[in-house]
Parts: sequence; structure tokens; C-alpha cells
Amino acid sequence: MRILIQFITTKVAGGVERSDKIIDAPAITIGRATDQILQLRDRRVRLQHARIEPKNGGFHIVSTSLAGVSVNGRSQRDADLSPGDVIEVGSNILRVIEAPEGADFAISFELRDDAAGEHLEPSWTTPKSGLSGWSMRRISWTLLAVVFVFAFVLPATALLHPTLAKFVRGSSLMPDDSLWRAGPLHNAHSSTAAECEVCHVNAFERVTDVACMECHEASRHVAGETSPVIGETRCASCHREHNEPAELVNRHQDLCADCHTALPDDIDLQPAGDFLDAHPDFRVSLNLPIPPGQGETEWNIEHIKLTDALTANRSNLKFDHKVHVAEEGILTPDGKRAIECAECHIPEPGGAKMLPVTMDEHCSSCHTLSFDPDDPTRVVPHGDPAGVVQALVEYYSARLLGEDLDAVEQRVRRPGRALTREDRDRAAAEAREQALAVATDLFERQACNNCHEVSRRDDGELPWHVEPVKLSNDFFPHSDFSHAAHDTEVTSCGSCHNAQQSESSEDLLIPDIDGCRECHGSGFASRNNAQQIPSACILCHSFHYDTKGVYGGDLP
Amino acid sequence: MHESLLEFRKRFYLWAALLLVAVSVAAYWYHDPQEPPNGGTTLGYILGTVGALLILWLAWFGVRKRSYASTLGTVQGWLSAHIYLGLALIVVVLLHAGFQFGWNVHTLAFVLMTLVILSGVFGVIVYLRYPERMSRNRGGAPRSELIDELEEIDRRSLRVAESLGADFHEFVSSGVQRTQLGATLWERFRGRDSSQVLVRRNNGETEFISNPGQEAALDWLAEQQSMSGDAETVAAISELSALIRNKRKLLRQLGADLKLQATLEIWLYVHVPLSVALIGALLVHVVTVFIYW
Repeated sequence: MRILIQFITTKVAGGVERSDKIIDAPAITIGRATDQILQLRDRRVRLQHARIEPKNGGFHIVSTSLAGVSVNGRSQRDADLSPGDVIEVGSNILRVIEAPEGADFAISFELRDDAAGEHLEPSWTTPKSGLSGWSMRRISWTLLAVVFVFAFVLPATALLHPTLAKFVRGSSLMPDDSLWRAGPLHNAHSSTAAECEVCHVNAFERVTDVACMECHEASRHVAGETSPVIGETRCASCHREHNEPAELVNRHQDLCADCHTALPDDIDLQPAGDFLDAHPDFRVSLNLPIPPGQGETEWNIEHIKLTDALTANRSNLKFDHKVHVAEEGILTPDGKRAIECAECHIPEPGGAKMLPVTMDEHCSSCHTLSFDPDDPTRVVPHGDPAGVVQALVEYYSARLLGEDLDAVEQRVRRPGRALTREDRDRAAAEAREQALAVATDLFERQACNNCHEVSRRDDGELPWHVEPVKLSNDFFPHSDFSHAAHDTEVTSCGSCHNAQQSESSEDLLIPDIDGCRECHGSGFASRNNAQQIPSACILCHSFHYDTKGVYGGDLP
Repeated sequence: MHESLLEFRKRFYLWAALLLVAVSVAAYWYHDPQEPPNGGTTLGYILGTVGALLILWLAWFGVRKRSYASTLGTVQGWLSAHIYLGLALIVVVLLHAGFQFGWNVHTLAFVLMTLVILSGVFGVIVYLRYPERMSRNRGGAPRSELIDELEEIDRRSLRVAESLGADFHEFVSSGVQRTQLGATLWERFRGRDSSQVLVRRNNGETEFISNPGQEAALDWLAEQQSMSGDAETVAAISELSALIRNKRKLLRQLGADLKLQATLEIWLYVHVPLSVALIGALLVHVVTVFIYW
């Protein structure tokens, strides 16, 4: 539409100036923005304040401002316009006039100098800062003080005097120095409970070994004492408290391997590292007889490389595992049956090692030491060769002189004569003769020599010498092997001990390191496959030897 | 060209923070302390020192942003680094502690630090979003323009009220003077309108009544309108009502504007005091660890 805008300027000097402007536009836009057709420099006018546009053949004003416009003195957001209407926008006045020839719509606009218009007292003040009266600074200082008092000052009173410490720690309301704990105390140390100073003797000083040694004693690898290698290391360097998971024992392989892979020359130990590939071959401790000269057999514990000891387990016992555990069975008092390993090899309480096998408990039910088929319950004592002969002599003397006197009389006494001294001596000699005959049978053929090394001897009181037996029972005294720990679903005795094939008691039925390595791997889980058990040094070996129990008590 | 504080210098500090995190995680992964990871191992001490220095440096931002004359980097750069390295701090400190927590002063420091960082994350989000939301709420105009518009409505209302007599003039001018949105930051944040208006009851008594959202004023006007028989008065009251309804709308817009701005400020009331408390807890943490070494 064609619009005529008539600008009326009132001169300060007096007089009125008019200028007309005709524009083509769909609507008259009124506002403070520069793109408005009618730009008003009045801060109460919005950037796009209102627009006049044709509507239903007439003209219409619409305001986008909430303050609206005033048409003929009435505040309105929109209104129909006709010539003669007076429109107020802020402090500016527009009049609708008759449109001249060639224009669709016309307004006159009076430019005024006091465009800012009248003002109310400003009711807008700068908003206050602060949170309901608390400035940021005040909140900060308060919080800081709370933290400092409750986390430090109050707990710290426990350091000043034992009485204060008792009060602070005893009160359920007061924060005490347990707040300073970096982690829970290990159960083993729970008796020291809240008394930090039992271990932390001086503030700002690391826990000393003296504090540990108040209750504990140990040998080997103790700082400064038995091993110059350990040097200045403190107990607490390895035995770390206040950690989660709580674990006082350091089981890390490097703890040992750092030194033991390359020990100083003056230490007579083989280098040892990761079990997977740097552990030396096993050595077994065997109790071996020193080859007998004359007199008593002596025994000597020898550490022998396991591979060199496979057929060297001399104990002077003759024993054939293969026969005893054969699947087809062996003749026992209960008939022919297979013997289980566990019938003789019984674990000690706790299950770590096996109890010693003894004649009385494990052999004698089959290997009876009977000698008289007429009296099978009568046996000779075991372990006492002289006693055997004596028991036999007594038995046959009694038979000849007492129990069966009539029968003896038949042979040694002339009829009608009393038993003379001579008769008795003859009977005794006969009894002894018979006893020696039976003894010879027992020692050399029937009983003893089944299991023992028996030799004839002419010089001694007895004509036989039985080599004493000592079974090695602790093959690895420097490792903590436990049978119980190895009693799993996938293992049997035969997994490690090849008894089925052993015909001699000199066979050493101990598995070598490769046998262990079938399950046991490196101390570092990352070097193992999924089946291998991480096996650091401490799994089998111990670092210290305890010499005393806790509080200096005796070890069990 | 405007550059978001997160995009500053092609996210240089994001990469720096990621590098710090990566180095810390890798060190944690490869370090084998022969005990459960904790602040007392070699790596624990290193990460703890890095964490403590980071906390002090992050807190120093509060000083740097006020040092207008400082040429030590730009404040925008400092803020970008403050955000990214502040987030990285959580990882550094978790690794320092070996993920061990308890009811103790050490975990207190961690909790305070986490709250500071979370409030900071909130701050970043509102800084990135709220200015635009405020601008949209005001329709692109500055707040002063809304206030000018409000004044215009008030001026017109007063003019209409003058034609209605002294009671109405008193009513409108008291309403103008006692229009109040959020005197304190907290009230602004809650969006509280504590405006009042003076009304004259039928028995001649006058009293100030609470006028949130100009509702009470509109009620009073409606009441007056119903009691008035004179057509001209009715028309004028209705004009006044229309103006006050517009004012109500404008006040809502202004209230929303104030609330958005208050949100931009109020998180700092958590962030800054907790940072100060954190520095205190950090000091207590370090000192007590070495008291009972």
C-alpha cells in the first residue's frame, strides 16, 4: 500500500516545519530498531513496538509490546483506526489523517525534543548479592572452620595428654583420631584398637621395629641382624597396615626374588627366581645310613638333587609298593583284596604331612610274627632281636618244663625216678635248641628277612644282625607342602607318587619340579595361562622363622 | 568470532587433561606396589602430590580471574583449563587413593572435592545454556528494555488511575512502588515475588496486602468494577485491569529472567565455599597422614 507520512517538527526558535514522505510497504512498522519504517528514539518503545496494516477494508494497529499503545487516550494492544484518531507510542504522538489522492493511508508524526518523556521515580534497585544474608566469604570461612575443628583440632587433643586421649576416644560425640585412619586396622592388631600410639610412638615419625618387637619375635631376614642383605628395611616396609583388602603379609615374589636371583658370593644358596622358569631343581632331604662298618649303623641327613636320588632312598627296609597296591589284590587276613594308600599313609592333624608308618599299626595285621602253627596267636616282639630269641627260649622252656611236663617226662626221665638236675638241664638245652631253630627260621626265612636286611654274625651275642630302619619323612623341610591342600577332585595319590610301578623301597616316589609345574606357574599371574596357579615364593617357602609366638609366648 | 570455552584453542586443555588421565591410569596399571594400591606407595605419593598441586592451582583461578592486569594467559584459557583439568582431577585422586574409602578425614577431602567438581559441572552447563535461554525469554531485548516497558505500563496505569480518583491513584502508585521481585539471590533463585499493594476496604480501612503476580490487585479491581454502575468508570477500570494484566505478564518474564540469572550465580555459592573447605580438608589430610606415619 502507499503510505504518506507527514513529519511535523516544532522549531525551538518557533514555527512548524512539515515534510511529507510517501513509501510503498505492506504495513507501517513502528519501533526503536533501525529497520522500522517509523523509527522512534524513545527507550520506552520496543525495537518492534507496533505495526499498522490494512484489515477488512480499513486500517488496524497491533502492538507487540505489553505496554501497548494508546489510541484516543485508551491503552490498547490493538485497535481499528480511522482519520482523526490520535495514537500514543511511548511519548510520541501519531495522528491518522485523511489520505490524500494517490495514497491509501496517511499519518502525521510530531517530532518532539523531549523524546525520553516523563519519568517515574525508579523503583528498580540493584539486586543484593549474598545467599539470604550470608556472603560467599562468610560461608567459606564457616565451612573451613567446621572442617578444621572437627577433622583436626578435636581429634588432635588425643595427642596432648593420655587423659585427654582417653576422654576424646571414650566420648561417642567427640570426633577422635580414629578419623585419621587411612583404612581399617587388621584383625590381628585389634587388641591395640583405638590406641594409635601403641605403634605410632612419636608423631611425624614412621613406625619403628621396636614397636613391633614389643609383641613379636622372628628370625631370618630380620633387619640388621642375621642378614646383611636386608639392611635398613623396617618391619612396616613389608607388613603394611590400614589397607583394604587388609593383608599384613606381603606375598609378592619380588620380595624374595630381588635378592635371591643374584645373591652375594658368600651366601651358599642356589639362585632362585620365578617358579615358572627360574627355580633350581628340587633337592630332597634323605635320612641315609652310613654304610655299616662294625657296630651300630649311623644315619646322616643328606640334601641330594632329586634327579640323583630317584633310586637312592635307602632306609634298610625292603618294601615293594607294586605288590602291595596291585589291582588284583594281595592276601590279607580278610582275604585277597587291594590295599588303599590311605590304609598306611594317614595324614597328621591339619593334613599337611603324613604320620609315620609303623609296624604295629600298619604292617602287623598281615605280617604277624607268629611262629607256632599250633598256637597262631603267640607272636614274638618286633624291633628287639634279642627279645625274640629270649621269648622263644622262654616259650619252649615253659613248654618242656611246665605246661607240657608229662610229655617231657616221657622223653627225659627214666621211669620210676624223679626229675633230676641233669634232666632239667637237658630239657633246657632242648628248649633252647628248639628256640634257635625256630629263630633261625624266623630271622632268615619266614619273617624278619621279608622286610629287613638280616645278616649272620658270629661275633655278637646273637647270631643275627638286623639293620635298623629309618624312613625319611620330611623330604622338603624348607617348603610348606600340604597334602590337604592338594586333595582335590582332579588329583589322587597316583598323580604325584608312582607307587604302582615301584618294586623297591629305594625308589624315591617324590615328584620333581616338572610335576609341580603341571599346575603351578609363575608368581606373576600375567605370565600364566588360565590353568596355572600363580605361585610366588611365599606359597611354599616362608620368609621368617617364627622363634616365638605373639607376646613372646611359646609356639605350638 | 565467538568461541565456546569448551572449544578454546581447539580443545587444547581437553587433550592435556586426557593425557594426564592416560598417564595416571597407565602408571597405576603398571605399578606393582607389593600391597593393595594406596596413597602411601611411591605412585600413591606421586599422584597425591599431583592431585594436591592441581587442587591449589584450580583454586588459584578464583584469584586469577580477578587479576585484570595479569597477562599470564587469558582468563578464557584459564577457565578452559580449569574445567578440563578439574575433571581429570577425579581420576588422579581415585588412583591416588587406590579406590579405598572410609569414614575418615581422607575420604572427607575426596567427598568435598567431588562436590566441588559436580557443582563446577553444573556451572559449566548453566554458563553454556542459560545466557541463550535468558535472551530467548526476553525476546532478544536487554533487561533494561523490559523495565522501561514496565515503567511505561506504570505510567499509563497512573494516568488512568488519576481519572478514577484518589483511591485508585493510591492503589496504583502503591502497587508501582511496592513491586518487588527477589531482593536476595536466594529469593531470585526461588522466583519469589514479594510485591504488595495498598487497598481501601469497603469500611474505609486501608491495608497493604501481598500482591504476588499482581493477582491481589486484579482481584481488587474486579471487585471495584462489579460495584460500579457508571459505564465510564467501568470502562476505565477495565482498561486499568488490562494494563495490570500486561504488567503481570511482564513481571513473569522479568522473574524468569532474574531466576535464570540467579541460577548462573548461585552455584558459585556451593562451588567456592566447598573449594575453601576442600583446601582445609586437604591440609588436614596431608598433616594427619604424617602425624601417624
